[in-house]
Amino acid sequence: MEATLIIINYNGRELLEMSAPATLDAARRAGNHPVVVADDGSTDDSLQYLCKVHPGIEVLALPHRGFGAACNAAVAAAETETVVLLNSDILVDPGFLPPLLQDLDQNDVFAVGCKFVNPGGSLRDAIGNRTSCHWRRGLLHIRHETDPARLAETCPQFYANGAALACSRQKWLALGGFDPMYHPLYWEDVDLGYRAWGRGWRVLYEPASVVAHEQGSTMKRVHTVEHIELMSAKNGILFTWKNLLDPGLLRRVIAAQMRWAADDVLIGGLPPRTRALLLALRQLPESIRGRVREQRERTRSDQEILAACGART
Amino acid sequence: MSERDSYTLLLTFARQGEEPSICKAMEFLRRESPAVRFVALGSPVSAAMLRGVGIEHVNIFGEGSSVRSVLRQIKDLRPSSTAIIYCGPGARGHLKLEALALAVGSRRICRFISGEPTRSVSRSSLLLSVAAKSLLALGCLAVSAVVCALAFCSLLLAQVLSGGRGARWA
Repeated sequence: MEATLIIINYNGRELLEMSAPATLDAARRAGNHPVVVADDGSTDDSLQYLCKVHPGIEVLALPHRGFGAACNAAVAAAETETVVLLNSDILVDPGFLPPLLQDLDQNDVFAVGCKFVNPGGSLRDAIGNRTSCHWRRGLLHIRHETDPARLAETCPQFYANGAALACSRQKWLALGGFDPMYHPLYWEDVDLGYRAWGRGWRVLYEPASVVAHEQGSTMKRVHTVEHIELMSAKNGILFTWKNLLDPGLLRRVIAAQMRWAADDVLIGGLPPRTRALLLALRQLPESIRGRVREQRERTRSDQEILAACGART
Repeated sequence: MSERDSYTLLLTFARQGEEPSICKAMEFLRRESPAVRFVALGSPVSAAMLRGVGIEHVNIFGEGSSVRSVLRQIKDLRPSSTAIIYCGPGARGHLKLEALALAVGSRRICRFISGEPTRSVSRSSLLLSVAAKSLLALGCLAVSAVVCALAFCSLLLAQVLSGGRGARWA
């Protein structure tokens, strides 16, 4: 199976210096798979660096429209059935690719996520491993497994972290890729995973495919921590508005979101949730459009999706 | 009550990384009164951290004890002073802690805010702060309620108008 390895880059010249050689090496070892850098309108010298040092890497120069749009454009432009998306701060292990491709051989698998370790190799607070979801005080929370004993086997997961995943290009296009509603950051991969489960496909976690990732290092270069928290809270709300089609479940979650916003003042020091709700309100029409689309396409109910991901409703 | 028996109630959310602020507050209070004994209110999760920083009495709610019964136990100790430890800059939020400080009724209440000098606060100004923050909380709740109701109705209406429930429900 041939795959295109796509590195998403935005002003990440130093990160490319670290990640591109390892990605090229892994692609070569697995059978000379093409490597593409999808450049999201960088203003640094990323492109010059690639031309000079890595002429074997194809460059897809895009106007600056954000991470999700860059991924969508790159997947659409790829010529292979399988695509591997990598953030520019991902350092892949030499043998990370074959296990991903092997899992994608199964017809009902949409995406496979890697095993994320910290740059030193530890798993402490690593994000994106064997993701699952659970309910706490009426809200859907995402869990990232960090127990090594539970990270040893290939298994289904809630979503594959967009920082390093392999997926079927055809299924990606059928899903419409990352939803631009989540621009500029976070939750687009959760949304994509949920929609894939909703179509009857599966998302897997593959422990044999190891990548090192310093969570948020690319985002923190562009956004402040406060902005990241606000956008993440806003996108979490939009995710539920768009994807929870069960009226009972939606009512429960929205009631919890209301209480959650008031908690800001009671507790203090947490992300400004009332602002997140107001920002989400501005995107209500977009979430409605997405919801209607989901209603048409879905073959599984919310309960079935959540049960498949191990969450109790 | 002798000075040996005097308790100071520490009110903190005891979040991860807050240990230095709590220790700093304890040091300050020990300098003022070397025989001071500390008591705190914590959840099962925060209790370990509170004990770890050297608080002798941590009254835990959430393990069969309600906040009200734990508060009664603390009142029985008659803490002579209450210290509110704010996490993050400024005195935003923390309505729960301020209301608790008022409810306990110690003679002296002081605030520990990161980067600001420690200061005592009168009951009346704390009451004002609680009132203002309660109004703000109500405002947030009202705004959130309107946003959430609007979202819920629009989402369901769109779903119905576009052809019913569509997906199969379990």
